[in-house]
Amino acid sequence: MSLLELRNVSKSYGEGEAEVHALREISLNVGQGEMAAVMGPSGSGKSTLLTIAGTLEVPTSGDVIIDGRQVRNLSRNAKARLRRQTIGYVFQDFNLLPGLTAAENVSLPLELDGASGRKARIAALSALDRLGLQARAAHYPDQLSGGERQRVAIARAMVGNRKLLLADEPSGALDSVNGEAVMRLLHDACKNAGMACVVVTHDAQLASWADRVVFLRDGRITDQTAPAQGPESLLAPEPGK
Amino acid sequence: MSTALHERPAQRQTGDGGINARRAVIRWAIRLLRREWKQQLLILTLITVAVGATVVASTVATDSQGPAAGILGTAQDAATVTGSQAQVNAKIQDLERHYGKVDVIENESVQVPGTVAAFDLRSQDPHGQYGGPMLSLLSGQYPATASEIAVTSGVAADFHLSTGKSWTVNGATYKVTGIVSNPENLLDAFALVLPGQVTRPDTATVLFDAPGQSAYSLQNSTGLPVSTAQTIANSNLINPETISITAAVLGMLLIALVGVGGFTVIAQRRLKAIGMLAAQGATGRHIRLVVRANGAATGVVGAVAGAVLGFVVWLIYRPQAETSADHVMGVFQVPWAVIGISMALAVIGTYFAASRPAKAIASTPIVAALAGRPPALKKTRHLAIPIGIGFLVMAFLLFGAAGAAGNGGGGSGNSPLLEVAVGFIALAIAIVLLSPACLAVVAKAGKRAPIATRLALRDLSRYRARSGPALAAISLATLIAVLVCIIAAARYGDVLDYVGPNLSGNELVVHMTGNQGPGSVSKNGPNGPGQNSSPPVSLAQAQQVADKIAADLGTTNMITLEQASANLNHAAAGRSWDGPIYVATPQLLHAFGISQSEINPDADVLTMRPGMSAESQMQLLYGGGGENPGPGGPGGNASQLPCDPGSCLANPPIQEIGQLPSGTSAPNTVFTQHAITTLGLGSSITTTSWLITTPNNLTPAQITTAQQFAAAASGMSVETRNSTPSISQIIDVATFFGIFLALGILGMSVGLVRSEAARDLRTLTATGANGRTRRTITAATAGALAFTGAVIGIVGGYIAAFGFFSDNSRDGLSELNSIPLSNLLFILIGMPLLAVILGWLLAGRDPAGIGRQPLE
Repeated sequence: MSLLELRNVSKSYGEGEAEVHALREISLNVGQGEMAAVMGPSGSGKSTLLTIAGTLEVPTSGDVIIDGRQVRNLSRNAKARLRRQTIGYVFQDFNLLPGLTAAENVSLPLELDGASGRKARIAALSALDRLGLQARAAHYPDQLSGGERQRVAIARAMVGNRKLLLADEPSGALDSVNGEAVMRLLHDACKNAGMACVVVTHDAQLASWADRVVFLRDGRITDQTAPAQGPESLLAPEPGK
Repeated sequence: MSTALHERPAQRQTGDGGINARRAVIRWAIRLLRREWKQQLLILTLITVAVGATVVASTVATDSQGPAAGILGTAQDAATVTGSQAQVNAKIQDLERHYGKVDVIENESVQVPGTVAAFDLRSQDPHGQYGGPMLSLLSGQYPATASEIAVTSGVAADFHLSTGKSWTVNGATYKVTGIVSNPENLLDAFALVLPGQVTRPDTATVLFDAPGQSAYSLQNSTGLPVSTAQTIANSNLINPETISITAAVLGMLLIALVGVGGFTVIAQRRLKAIGMLAAQGATGRHIRLVVRANGAATGVVGAVAGAVLGFVVWLIYRPQAETSADHVMGVFQVPWAVIGISMALAVIGTYFAASRPAKAIASTPIVAALAGRPPALKKTRHLAIPIGIGFLVMAFLLFGAAGAAGNGGGGSGNSPLLEVAVGFIALAIAIVLLSPACLAVVAKAGKRAPIATRLALRDLSRYRARSGPALAAISLATLIAVLVCIIAAARYGDVLDYVGPNLSGNELVVHMTGNQGPGSVSKNGPNGPGQNSSPPVSLAQAQQVADKIAADLGTTNMITLEQASANLNHAAAGRSWDGPIYVATPQLLHAFGISQSEINPDADVLTMRPGMSAESQMQLLYGGGGENPGPGGPGGNASQLPCDPGSCLANPPIQEIGQLPSGTSAPNTVFTQHAITTLGLGSSITTTSWLITTPNNLTPAQITTAQQFAAAASGMSVETRNSTPSISQIIDVATFFGIFLALGILGMSVGLVRSEAARDLRTLTATGANGRTRRTITAATAGALAFTGAVIGIVGGYIAAFGFFSDNSRDGLSELNSIPLSNLLFILIGMPLLAVILGWLLAGRDPAGIGRQPLE
């Protein structure tokens, strides 16, 4: 079953001569437990695709269906609820709230969804623990390294049993070691938690972690292919793997 | 490493997250305030200072009045009984029968020999149920027997008394047992004896409690004048609490206007974080709540800090305030209601100041917010201009109604305070609504200016969400100053109802009668001893006293002031003459260096009051129609319509002569010999006063000596300079205050306005602009805001003034003929110049850090 389904989605900005077509008739399905990487040159529409898939933007035409729900028919508040309960976002520049600790950042979506502070905190600590960050739970974002921040962001995107994980160049601001660690976490989230993942990346080597790579150019999907080999790690394999 | 989270951590809700979600975003807002308080220092400081100033000002204003004017003690009611001892006793018994326990204070006024001062010989129970708080023992002990007496320090000083000494007063000899005071009125000079020891009381004050009865019903039932806390409060038309709250409302409005800009910039700086919050599923309501909660939290912190600061200042200032107010003030005797309201206003003000940016930020597309792109610039709402003009018209009409009410027009005779207050609010709303449109006009006006100036003006117009409220706040600050200047100029410019200092500091007038002018001093304050009942002195005796005073002052510069049975008036309703008119004797003209050749042979009146010669409808009333009111007296007689030729001269020739003195009690207006001769006033001329001029300002000791000389001669009095300020003092202070306030707001606003355009500034710098360009931009921004604010303030002020003075029952708009030109020019040109200079000096730093998005 597709968790994310884009049907003939187009997006254009501006009007008349200034009109820019960011996406043209894009159709894409991502199923449960599937990880799709989106690649393409700058301006090809990768981020637009992700923002539309995440209900942050409205397509000019076409349909977006998330977890069986037609996004077009949803109100602003209903979309917000969908993001809280179903969609997890990971940004290139982490986007953690500066005034909140790591644990509070992770518990935020749950609290926004009405969970009590205590229960949300327990869940957040559990998530951080699974990502090896429990010792950093009380630290503020500016006290964390780049890799730690992105792991906190991933914990935040996953907490609460989200079904769709969207990552916009999650390793873009990280070195190769941390970048690969992040991709590994996303991959695990996808496979172990059954989330549907869409990852935008420039890096072909990191894209190799995905089940499928979607190539975009000038707002059109030019190719969809599965990587010839499995994940290519530059790092020493983890013990037991 | 596994990242799967299988458990459902918390039960979800279907709505917008309810209270848990709101708590989470409020927590973040408060946390941000804690972390980024420096960025909000401006607004925090403003609120702290405003609340602190309100605490101090309202406490001083309220406490200065004293507890129930120092006559009630702990009683609810006070009846004043006069008459014979038998009548007084009967009334006291009557009150005791009706209302139970009473406390009686009997007073007999006793003159201090050789002075106009007096003190009260007072019988009062020091431990009385109601009057106890009105007595305080400073040293020694209270009188315990009929031969003992305690005195206040003032009486002790006058009579050189100390504890243990004997003192004879009113024929009885007492032993002084202690020094006492009335803590509720430190000016109260009295000598305390046991109850029943005052044999000839002038008045008896009976303190009692009559719960649930109004002063009116008590007066009806007892037949006595009764005072209650309410009647005392009502006697004060302008309640200090009301003034404090009004000032607090106005202050918080100004802060809220500045706050709108501040919170907008802060919200914009957090744009990416807010976008992320939305991406995580926060609704528009959550996002609005973040910004509003931040505003409210800022208000709470500022309000609490302000209250603490104000209370500390009050503790420091309290001793001085007690000295000034002449009564004791409790540490916690503060107007809690006013303070509470001002603190609540601070929180409400900042909450609403943050609401507008909250709305704007919440409507920003999430993707734009994530990218840190500010919301699209909004055009001025089309309805703002017509609605603003509507409020302007409303303000004009309300000020007109206030003017009519103030003049008793329409038969209302009501206090115009309500109309003035509502009119001012309408005017403030009009300014807030119209200010953004004015910025558009400014931008258009500067389209041919050099690039830096043009850019500054265009940015003011583009970012009017910030600059509009800032301009409104500057305009309101200027408006206050302009209104004070206009009203003061109008009031002081009224050549008929002339106001100002009565005399110069080196002038002293000796009056033959005890009808003392406003500069006279009574040691007993408002509850003084009343008029001397001795017969008036003869002219020769009075002349001797005046000569003696002049000799004591070491001067021979003394003019005899004469008055005739004539007066001036104006035919228009609501306008009447005020002030004495003397006769232009050769001695008087010579003393002021006026030669006969300077005087128009046909002139009937000489005056220094500027513009009086141009007054139409003047009347000179004489014979039976005119009676000179005397120094400091009431206005002249009613005008005659039509002017009866037998006792009224219409439009008498008036000549303005600048050499005459300007004091309201000085001979600023005189009848000429021509008027005396042609109107046959010679026989009515009488000597009333002597004007003595000394080389230097009079000292308190000289004034006291002169008063003692005058008091020694039955019924005479002296008049010296009173505390009435001159017009220049009023408008200069108002101008300085207005400019200071406007520049303060400007200084706080310019940074906010420019920070929004920081991205453009970086681009400008990248294209080669240097520090000079940046300085020019900031200076032009400050100058344009100051100039536009000054224009709006002056126009708004004159609209209010035209409305107020447009009442036809008065003499048209003649009050507005006096224009405080130099002060208005200083506001219009000087303030923008100051803003430009300060902007230039304080700007020009490297813009790298400006407008940085402090996400992490």
